[in-house]
Amino acid sequence: MKLPVMSVRGVSKEFGPGVRVLDHVDFEVVKGETLVLIGESGSGKTTLLRMFNGLTHPSSGDVRIHDKPVRIQDPINLRRRVGYVQQDAGLLPHWTVEENVGLVPLLLGWESEQRTSRVHALLNLVHLDPQQFRARYPIELSGGQRQRVAFARALAADPGIVLLDEPFGALDAITRHELQRQFLSLKQRLNKTMVMVTHDVDEALQLGDRIAVLKEGRLLQIGTPVDLLNAPVHDYVVQLLRHRSHGVFS
Amino acid sequence: MTKSLHSVYLRTLMILMLLLPLPAFSQEDRIVVGSKNFMENKLLAEIFAQLIEARTNLSVERRLGLAGTQVCFEALRTGAIDLYPEYTGTGLVSILKQPPTGDPRTALNVVRAEFLQRWDLWWLNPLGFENAYALAVPRSRTAGIPLRTISDLVKIAPSLTGGFGYEFINRPDGLPGLEIRYGLAFQRVQAMQQSLKYQAAAAGEIDVLDVYTTDGRLAVYDFVVLEDDLHFFPPYEASGLIRGSTLAEHPELGAVLGLLTHAFDDKTMRHLNYRLQEGGEPPDVVARDALSALHLFTSDAAGTRPVSHQEGLFAYMWSKRTDLGGRIIEHLTLAGLALGLGILLAVPLGLLLERQQAIAEPVIRGIGLTQTIPSIALLAFMIPVFGIGMLPAVIALWMYSLFPIVRNTYSGLRDAAPQAVEAARALGMTEWQILHWVRLPLAAPVIMAGIRTAGVITVGTTTLAAFIGAGGLGVPIVAGLQMANTTVILSGALPAAALALVIDGVLGQVETWLRPRGV
Repeated sequence: MKLPVMSVRGVSKEFGPGVRVLDHVDFEVVKGETLVLIGESGSGKTTLLRMFNGLTHPSSGDVRIHDKPVRIQDPINLRRRVGYVQQDAGLLPHWTVEENVGLVPLLLGWESEQRTSRVHALLNLVHLDPQQFRARYPIELSGGQRQRVAFARALAADPGIVLLDEPFGALDAITRHELQRQFLSLKQRLNKTMVMVTHDVDEALQLGDRIAVLKEGRLLQIGTPVDLLNAPVHDYVVQLLRHRSHGVFS
Repeated sequence: MTKSLHSVYLRTLMILMLLLPLPAFSQEDRIVVGSKNFMENKLLAEIFAQLIEARTNLSVERRLGLAGTQVCFEALRTGAIDLYPEYTGTGLVSILKQPPTGDPRTALNVVRAEFLQRWDLWWLNPLGFENAYALAVPRSRTAGIPLRTISDLVKIAPSLTGGFGYEFINRPDGLPGLEIRYGLAFQRVQAMQQSLKYQAAAAGEIDVLDVYTTDGRLAVYDFVVLEDDLHFFPPYEASGLIRGSTLAEHPELGAVLGLLTHAFDDKTMRHLNYRLQEGGEPPDVVARDALSALHLFTSDAAGTRPVSHQEGLFAYMWSKRTDLGGRIIEHLTLAGLALGLGILLAVPLGLLLERQQAIAEPVIRGIGLTQTIPSIALLAFMIPVFGIGMLPAVIALWMYSLFPIVRNTYSGLRDAAPQAVEAARALGMTEWQILHWVRLPLAAPVIMAGIRTAGVITVGTTTLAAFIGAGGLGVPIVAGLQMANTTVILSGALPAAALALVIDGVLGQVETWLRPRGV
């Protein structure tokens, strides 16, 4: 049994009295796996994701990384060691592609030449030609290109853990499929531990090693795609899986 | 990236420095002569000033056209000015709040004793004329009515409209006292600017007006000046009012100004006032002639041209270019200082409020209240605390400049690219780095837009600084209003408007310049 990289134990979260968004959630994420958190808006999946890098904290229970509670870790250092990709890319609009990708290395105090070569390697990794794109501003990129830059930025300092908040959510269908395909091949090469939030069941089945189904703040089932398809433990899981398009595994 | 960010700061710093002109203050031994904001008072102040310049070694600074008795008196009491022309009745009623008395000698003795004891202020010997209140009726309105005294007026007053100055309506020795003494009641009372009353009366829009007995226009307009048969109006003997400490320091002033004792009678004064009001001659020219006529002064005036009402606006402005140039510099100095100081306080305050969201809205709303104080009132509030001149004007203008800058700094920082801020935080930027690298560069154009708004407001409001003797382009505007001369008004108003446009254009360009690439 591999040691868990991240663990969530008895986590509940309330925003004010009676507004409970997470209700006694327990699970673990093991090294090298991609865990997908799936659920509707309001299921608490994004709140849960934000607990892994200390952007928010549980009301009760605890979230640990390498068996150390996030609450007692220095959030700045933690965040520099954890990659993060959000739905709208979140690039700094007044920084070039090169500056955006080099953000975390800059924060970590890398030398300029070291940053430049790293940025170039990462742009190649996400299939963007450095010579063509490094000096561009985010406004001069397409949605898919921006999201590629966001991926490169998340990976820049080679973090062991990457958090992804609906990274493909804002893209058109063709770009989304292309990026998902490349994400799969990257994932196999890079061996990162990843937690991804989505509401798209096809995406979850395709990209997740394991899937955690959340509804109204409760964890209904966690397991591999095959577990979920063969042995759903809850009507909601059955209903959710019914929404998938056919031929995912073809 | 560090390079581009630094250049944003550098640019901002350079702009701040440009906005802070360094005023040259010099403190030499000199007498500051003030006056109220009407022609006769300015003329008397100018006569004092020229006589002191001619007969002593002192230099004279002129602070002419201060807004009303209260401003002048406070300025004198606090030492912002040394001397100004005042009237015994005003001292008795407006300043001492005593009941009016009908006897000139008693009035003078009372104000002399009280002013000396309370404030160490000295009334010099009377100049020889009285500028008392009187009521006047256009002769055309008196056809077939025996109208000679105020008692005669009482009978027909219920069918008449009175047009009176703001001060007259409020002073106990003005309309309120008059109504009680005579049982006078008009059909309607209209508050009017001093110089508009005569035209309104001539045009038949008002039937009765308050006049000063030395008003030069009484010779031009065909008005019946009614006799004060119940001796209600207190005597208004003109005299110099001077600080005791100034007299002690420069005793020669007493002797020199004493040369003016009983030097002017009502008729002479009406004639001099006529030259100012209708001839449009500047007070310094008329003052020089008056002193020459008294053989106190040798005239070497090359004859400054009087303002002709027919003269073209631009020809007039060209002839006044040196004066207007100086006014523009004063104007820009006042506005620039106020705006520069406004930026120095408001931008850091906006930064602070962005970190203290809980108090931000109340604080900003509180600062917003300054915008609701009428500017002239705010300027007047400054007098008791800061005296007159540049300092109170800059402070008042500074207070006006704060709100747009604080508001834009705060909201610009708060609303700057929320997704980028979220990503920056999630990737491990400290709050300080987020401010420095993300929020400030993205908010810079919004902050600059606030500074631009404040700049335009400040340049406009600075025209009011003339009321408290701070100079600027308001000086010709105020003078023109008193002379009812549109040319003179426009000679101040046009450059002021042009300045506002230029400031708006320049700061708009800076706003574009500060906008980071990629946004």
